[in-house]
Amino acid sequence: MSAPVIDVDDVWVRLRGQTVLEGVSLAIYPDDFYAIIGPNGGGKTTLLRVILGLLAPAAGEVRILGSTEAAMRKNLGYVPQFRTFDFEYPITVREMVLSGRLGHITRRPRRYDAEDHARAEEALETMRIADLADRQIRDLSGGEQQRAIIARALVGDPKVLLLDEPTVYVDAPTEAQFYGILDRLRDRMAIVLVTHDIGVLPDHVTRVACLNRHLYTHDTNEITPDMLEAAYHCPVDLIAHGVPHRVFPEHSRDDDDV
Amino acid sequence: MMTMFEVLGFEFFRNALVAGALASVACGIIGTYVVVRRMVSVSGGISHAAFGGIGLGYFLGIDPLIGAAGFTVATALGMGALQLRARQQMDTLIGAVWAAGMAIGILFVYLTPGFAPDLFSYLFGNILLVPRGDILLMTLLVVIIVAVVAFLYRELQAVTFDPDYATVMNLPVERLSLLLLVLIALTVVMLIRVVGIILVIALLTLPAAISRLYTTRIWSMMLGAVALGIIFTVAGIWLSYLANVPSGATIILVSTLVYAGALGVERLRQGD
Repeated sequence: MSAPVIDVDDVWVRLRGQTVLEGVSLAIYPDDFYAIIGPNGGGKTTLLRVILGLLAPAAGEVRILGSTEAAMRKNLGYVPQFRTFDFEYPITVREMVLSGRLGHITRRPRRYDAEDHARAEEALETMRIADLADRQIRDLSGGEQQRAIIARALVGDPKVLLLDEPTVYVDAPTEAQFYGILDRLRDRMAIVLVTHDIGVLPDHVTRVACLNRHLYTHDTNEITPDMLEAAYHCPVDLIAHGVPHRVFPEHSRDDDDV
Repeated sequence: MMTMFEVLGFEFFRNALVAGALASVACGIIGTYVVVRRMVSVSGGISHAAFGGIGLGYFLGIDPLIGAAGFTVATALGMGALQLRARQQMDTLIGAVWAAGMAIGILFVYLTPGFAPDLFSYLFGNILLVPRGDILLMTLLVVIIVAVVAFLYRELQAVTFDPDYATVMNLPVERLSLLLLVLIALTVVMLIRVVGIILVIALLTLPAAISRLYTTRIWSMMLGAVALGIIFTVAGIWLSYLANVPSGATIILVSTLVYAGALGVERLRQGD
């Protein structure tokens, strides 16, 4: 197996006196489509923020392509939780997508060159929003906005695409289309999908981990006894969301401190 | 009553128009960031903290605007540093800085022996009293603002649009945010002459907020805001001359009326 793209090594995070992540270790390989599931408040977004360099861990480190340098983050494509920024901001789709190139520009002051523009057009084509490039993001539909955000993540040629709860605010047809897009991207980069919705996972995912302060990893892509074991450590009602026909073992309080 | 043409013969009137135009350029550019980044209350805090500097200037016997510049820049940097660390109580913090700045100013003015000349004009502005030296200073500031924004347009856009993503892109987000706050502070000082501390926030935000309704890019929003600012200040100065009322308040009322009208029209259009 080749070297990991992202290597999370024994990361601990404390926020407002609470331990949010406890000794989390995780390696993402180039061909991974990795799903991290877990209850709300289990630390999923926190883990992503540590990987992205938005939050410094109390202990442990994150290596991107083997290095801890901040400049390595240009190899990450990030799709934040929907509506974490202001969609009223006066910016066109093309400008937003271009801004994803800023991490690659070494000249100061930063200017986009022909290559940056070419990459932006490519990303717009990939996401099939080239005809919307000159529209303002606030005038797009929810699904189009989401595709624009993914285009911004793709334009920097990432080695890994990190997605935080990408389907929470989109309707079912958009969601199906969205997973179609991820399938197309899989052979170009590793994908890390953070979600509390495991209804769609088995078809798309190569590996699953369950995060609830601890990370429980499982090298499988199906809901198997291993998977149930992972789910077992999370509140069952949240994990079962979107999987109404599957019965999970009842959550045991005694296992909270495992 | 003299016509506009005859009034233009007076240097103080020409200075007033030039000062208004310069202030409008600064407001249009910096106000655009204030509006899109939703920093209106932070800017209000910075502008009221300026009164502490005015008071200090009186107390030390130096130009109160120098005191104001020092005070606002220090306040902006302090608030910026706190904002990056303790996000939660930001509105309380702004309120405290807002009031403390005014309180410090009042104490210093009280402690200064004798009468504080022009105190009223710092609070409410008097564009007809802008001296020649200030015009030069304002020009310098406008040149700095235009140069910085032209140089760092993409960086400032990234930081004000999505600071998290800008961090992932390895931009110096903290330094750029502080730079923007310092530019706001300097713009505020510049506006004190024109509309006074109490009214600064309106001239800083209203032209940009109106321009926002009709533009799709940061740069076009800035251009629109600059044009609107010039129209408002010239109209305000002219109307205040005709009616023989304070210019600063007139400029602000003109801006507010146009803003209300623009919002109303926008509402009707969306109702269709």
